[in-house]
This record gives sequence, structure tokens and C-alpha cells, in this order.
Amino acid sequence: MLSITVLALAFGTYVQYVASLCLIAAEVGVAMVLIVGFARVIMLASGAMMAIGAYASTILVEGLGIPYLISLLVAAAFGGLAGALVAVPASRFRGHYLAMATLVFQFVIMIGIREWSSLTGGAAGLSVPNARMFGHSLGSDAEYLVFIMIAAMLTVAILATILAGQYGKALRAISATEIGAESFGINVARYHLTAFIISSAAMSFSGALLAPRIRILDPESFGFVSSIFMLAYPVVGGMHSVWGGLLGGLVLRALPEVLRGGQELQGLIYALLVLAVMTFFPGGLVGVLGALARHNKVHREGAGAPGATAVAAAPASANVAQNVNGAVALQIDDVSVSFGAMRAVDHFSLRVFAGTVHGLIGPNGAGKTTLFNAISGFVAVNSGTMRLFEWGLTGEPPRRRIAHGMTRTFQQVALFGPLTCIDNVILGLGHNGISKSVRASIAEVVAAADHQARRKIALESLAAVEIDHLAERTAQSLSLGDQRRLELARAIVSNPRLILLDEPVSGVSREEEAGILVLLRRLSTERAITVLVIEHNIRFICGLCDRVSVMAFGRMLAQGDPETVINDPEVRSVYFGKSWQTP
Amino acid sequence: MEELPRLLLGGIKIGAIYSLAALGIVVIHKATKTVNFAHGALIMLGAYFGFFLLRLFGLPYALVYLLAPIAVGGLAAGTEWLFLRRLRRSDAFTVVISTIFIALAATELIRVAYRSELLSIPEVWSGPPLFVGELILTRETLWIIAGALCGAGLGASLFAAARFGRPLRAMAASTRGAQLCGYSVDGVYAQAWFLGGTLAGLAGLFLAPMTGITPELADFMIVPAFVAAVLGGFDSIKGALLGGIVLGLAETLSAAYLSSAGKSALTLLILLTVLLWRPRGLFPESKTRDV
Repeated sequence: MLSITVLALAFGTYVQYVASLCLIAAEVGVAMVLIVGFARVIMLASGAMMAIGAYASTILVEGLGIPYLISLLVAAAFGGLAGALVAVPASRFRGHYLAMATLVFQFVIMIGIREWSSLTGGAAGLSVPNARMFGHSLGSDAEYLVFIMIAAMLTVAILATILAGQYGKALRAISATEIGAESFGINVARYHLTAFIISSAAMSFSGALLAPRIRILDPESFGFVSSIFMLAYPVVGGMHSVWGGLLGGLVLRALPEVLRGGQELQGLIYALLVLAVMTFFPGGLVGVLGALARHNKVHREGAGAPGATAVAAAPASANVAQNVNGAVALQIDDVSVSFGAMRAVDHFSLRVFAGTVHGLIGPNGAGKTTLFNAISGFVAVNSGTMRLFEWGLTGEPPRRRIAHGMTRTFQQVALFGPLTCIDNVILGLGHNGISKSVRASIAEVVAAADHQARRKIALESLAAVEIDHLAERTAQSLSLGDQRRLELARAIVSNPRLILLDEPVSGVSREEEAGILVLLRRLSTERAITVLVIEHNIRFICGLCDRVSVMAFGRMLAQGDPETVINDPEVRSVYFGKSWQTP
Repeated sequence: MEELPRLLLGGIKIGAIYSLAALGIVVIHKATKTVNFAHGALIMLGAYFGFFLLRLFGLPYALVYLLAPIAVGGLAAGTEWLFLRRLRRSDAFTVVISTIFIALAATELIRVAYRSELLSIPEVWSGPPLFVGELILTRETLWIIAGALCGAGLGASLFAAARFGRPLRAMAASTRGAQLCGYSVDGVYAQAWFLGGTLAGLAGLFLAPMTGITPELADFMIVPAFVAAVLGGFDSIKGALLGGIVLGLAETLSAAYLSSAGKSALTLLILLTVLLWRPRGLFPESKTRDV
């Protein structure tokens, strides 16, 4: 930004004027990256937010005599408020409904501005006085440029800090998998709310910055079309990075000035350009530049081969049930879960002793995953109680589980795909509440010690599952076996007291299965974690578990040590049919 | 209060057009799981194509009402086939955003071609108004109400009952299942866009004599079309039809008794209320049974 300012100062006043507009657009671009790229909301009310800022600031300065600098902050506050208003629907629904809500908000604000002409000058417009600060009135384009540069840089710095830090990571985690995010303490609704508030406040701030530059405010310049134009900033620049927002805003705002010639064709060219970028360069400008950079670098191979995993499956030795003082880690009493008329879990009771590895098997449709979802809080329980050590579990939202010391993995891997492995594990530490993550983001920039400590713990966790050499790879680029290990690493990093594993070896090769079995046994003894595991792989269950429960038709069928259970005739008949019963 | 029947009639008139528009959105969404933000632009194109065929080619109105919507449908299917199909490789998010920019491109193109000329086409059915009891019913109003509702009904039954709609219904129920039965995703999606586009074009054509033909039609219609669809429960055919009528009535009455600003505020209120309290719409498609 500094370079653009310096460059522009060298040219004439027109260039300086355009540069001011571009810097403001760059700031809007970063705000849009936050809401559109990171939070994945199709935000169609950006024009309205800028209008709120512009009009609020002008009315405050003109009507109430408030100093311009203060009016900027108040305008941002109004924007934040408006963002909170629009976010209210976001707690209930996402996707296109939310997009429509922002669309309708855009139209309503425009109509409000037009109708309330006594305040806003209506369609005729509102003239804006020169910005005055510290007794000096900003006059020349150069002065404005410098001021706007400072203001925009400050805002972008703030936005960039939280986007690059834990807050941004948590947002991206939510976009990857909401269920995964909730399991690790991320309050999805609150994050959406704050994303709306922050980005709207930033947009209103930029509207207030813009007002004295354009001298006259009229509703048309903040209409639906401008919202669409601003939606293009993250799309063209690159949706997942601060640089994308900056580039997108700069380039697209400069475009109409460059295309001065074909005045009428501007809109059309703009639209076609955006469509072309979307089709051919899905990563946006940032993606293009990144590809060019990689092309020029010598391709370095990933360092280090994975540590040799013990491939031979250890025979199932007689596992003595290790009761840590005989404490009960998980107590499920008479729990029933129904979906309409269908009873998925039927008066089920289970006790998992602390420090043991407890298996849960049963034919398809027995209700095992439903039980897990009930234990982890994703599904409501119709009757019965559940306790984790001394904590009652019923009625608590899923995100509280990690604070009580319970984590889980998922049948279909619920990793935060676009994030790196180490970021996935860092999120697994919990402490993902909004204020904590914002503070962490700031701390990352100011004093890196905290963040380094977290990285170290995460790396240890990755090493424990033997994928530390993959720490900087994105989760979605891993093989399924490695992804399952990553899920494990994420589940153990917070040193939980109980882990729920949902089919941890489904879909992996025989070698991988043996490796994970060895790993799980080591982890459970080394870290004294209680494990409850669902699996269809009987060989795996027998090799791993101290106790096994069999579930069928939502009910408990048999319970005991693995050998006894799998030879139980009732259990066999449920799996193989009645004719298999030993005569 | 004598105004009331007249207002109700006006509400049904615009409501019928909203129903057509909402139906198009619902058809596309049911079959392709895509929200078409370019629907307003398609409606606008319906009006413009009507103008071309009527004024520039001099075709009779009957033919225009047949060809213009089909042309829009063809254009929509073409856009899906050539363009959206490629984008779908990434994710649904990108596709929705691209429809927004397609709409922008279409609107800008029209703006470039026609500057700010105000185009118009005449009423379809002119002549002395009919008197039903105390009600003065212009023939045009009758045409719009009857025609739009028939068109919507036809579109709905094409989707829900006819052989033409079978692949669409299959895709709507299960994409994988439909593929396994031999339906090509690309082909069926194009078909869905064709039907949706045709309905949009028809809506634009009915709208044109009333409002004039301008690029603003795109922005004007997108919100009511969506709100009507949401009112009806976004994936419900019947709901779209009823939702349009309800919205039309609500808007007309509030515009008369409140103000034009009140009308928009009411629309927002309706949208938010439905989404917060009855997200499956006023007329949900599937029913639950309490056992």
C-alpha cells in the first residue's frame, strides 16, 4: 500500500484521486475476503454497509458537529450493528437463504435512504463537507491520499491479524465441516455473528472514508450493482487470503478508470472479466501469481521418509481390564433415541471403565453411530442419562465436550480439509472460543511464544501418530490412512480423558490397520486415555479391546471380553443368521 | 373499502406472475440443487425477446408467447451446459456466485445494446373491460391471471407428472440414484435449466405490457421471486404457486395501505419471519406423521 501511495504522489492529482479510491477498495476487499472467502457467506449487502457508514459519518459531522475522526469510528459501530442484524438469520440457516437475506437487506436500506429524505437527502443526494481533523481541513488530493492510506492500512492490519491467526483458522474450519468444528469447541453461530460484525464494520468504515472524497452521496452509488461489483473483489483476487482481497480490490477498482474509453461497456467488461477469472483461474489473481512463483522455483521434495511402522499385527494378548481405581469413565443409563417412529437406540445402558479400550460392534443399522452422536451431543436423547466421569452430558451442546475432556473421530473423516495438518491439530487443542481465538491471533503477531508452544504440542501429537513429516501439508491432500491418523492426532492433542472412535480403520489397507492398532494401544496405555471404539472389523476389535459390547436393533445384545462375545451364539446369529447357530 | 376487490385483483395479478417466477427457481433448485441468482435476468430477457419477436419480426402475439419463453429456456440451458457445468467441478458456492455475475453480464449487455430506451409492447387483450358484479375487470388482467396461472400449472405438471419431468424428479430425489438409472447429470441439469428458463421467460412476457421493458426488470423481480419461493418452502412446487399469490396480495395491500417503502419492509419481514419460524415454508412439500 505504501508503494502505491508513493507512486501515486509522483503523478498528478487525478491519479492520486484514483489511488485513494483503490486503497479504500483494497480494504473493502479484505473485509469481503473475511465474510465471503473465510466464512463462505454470499454477502450481497456490501453496498448497503458502505452506505450506512458514509451517510452516518456525514450526518454526524454535518448535523451534530462531531469531529470527523470520531464519526469514522461511530460509523464503523453502526456498520457492526447492521452486520449483527443481518447475522441474526445466520444462526438459523446458511447458504442461499442467508444470501437472500443479505440481498433483501441491501434493498431495504436503499429504500430507507431514499424515503427518509429529511435525514439523508433522499434520491437527490447529500453533500459532504471536507474532512476536518485537528483543525485542518483536508484539501488536496495528496493529503487525502496520505490520510486514506494510513486509515486503510490500519484497518487492513487489524483484519489481517485476525484472519491469519486462530480466528481465521477457526472460520475456515467451520467452512470445511461444521460438525467437526463444533466437536472441538468452535461455536459456529458466534463465529458467523462476529464475522458479520467485523466485516460490516470495516465496510462501513470505508464508506465513511470514501464520503469526503466523492463529495456527494446518492443512494445509486451504493446500490445492488455496487454490491455485486464488490463481491467480485474476493472472487477475482483470491478468496482465501488477505492478499487476494487487497489485489482484487485494487485491480477491480482501478479497472473502470483504465477503461475510461468504453464508458458504456465498463459494466459488461467487468462482468465478463469476473466470469473468465472464475472459469479459468479459480484461485483468483493470487492463485495465478502463486503458480507463476512455483513455476520459477526449483521443486524441492518433501523431506524425510515416514518412520518405519511396525507392520506385523501384534497378537491379541490377554488384556487385563485396567481399571484406574475402577472408575467409570462413561456411564450410559437407559438411553433412548428416536427419529419419529423409528427407535434407533432402545433403552441402552453401557459402562466404560476408565483406562480401558472398549469396543462397540453390531450389524449395520444397529444404532452405534446414533449412540455416538447422542454421546457427543449432536443428537437429542429422548430418555435416559449419560455421564462422563462426574459430568452430566445430556442437554449440553457438542462444543462443550472438549472442555470436559471428550473428543471423537468420525466415520467419514471430518477434517478441516483446506487447513494444514498442524493447523488441524492446533484447533484440536480446544480453547476455540471467540475471545480466545482473537487474543491468540493478536498474540501471534505481538509475541510469538504462545503460538510456538501450541505448535510444539501439535507437532508432538503428530509425531505420536507418525505423520509429523506431513505437518505442513493440507489435510485434504493426505491419503485416507494418513487422514485417519490425523483425526487421531487432533483427537488426542488436548489430552482428553475419553475418546470416541467411529470406525477408525474402515477403508484402510491391512498394513495401515495393523499400524493404527499398534498406535492406539500405545496411546491408550501411555496417555491413560479411555477409548470407546465402533468398528466392523472384528479382527481389529479383538486385537485392541479389553471389553466388547454388541449392539443390535438399538439394544444391548451381549457384553464381555472379546473372545467370549464373538463366540456367543446369539451374536453370531445376528451377524450370520439363524442357520449358523451351533447345533 | 370498495377498493378492496380491486386491490385483491391487482394482488392476484402480480401474484400470478410471481408464482411463475418462483416456480422457475424452485424447478432449477430441486433438480440441480443450485440457487439461480440469474433468474431475474432471465425474466428480463423474456420481456426483451418478446419485444424482438413482436416488433422486429412482426410475429403474432400467440407465436410470441410460445417462442420467446422457449428462447429464454434455450439460452438458460445453453448457459448451464457450456458454462456452469465446468464450474460445478469446484463447488456449489462458486456456481451460485457465478449466476450472480451471469445476471450482471446479461443486464449490462442489454444496457449496452439499448442504452436507456424505454421499450414497450402493447397489451395482449385490449377491449372494453368486463363487469363482474361490482368488479371492473380489464381483459388484460384476466389474461394475465388466467395465462400466468395456466403457464405455472403447465410447468408444474411438466415437472411433477409428465414424462418430460421424470429425469428432473429423479435428480431431485437422488443425484446418485438417478445417475445409476442412466440419467446423465449434465443432460438433466440442462433440461432443468430449460424448464426453469422457459418459466422465467414467460413471467417476463406477462410482465412486460404492465411495467415496460427495461434492464431494471432483472433487479426488480429477483427479490419477489425468491421470497415467493421461500414462502412456499423452497423445494415445493405447490408452495411456489401459492407463495407467489400470497406475496402478490401482501405486497399490493401493503403498498396501498402503507407506502411503497412499507411494501419493501413487509417483504423483508415476511422473508425473515418465514425463515426463522417456518423454514420449511407455509406449504411444505412432505408431510410428517406423528406416530
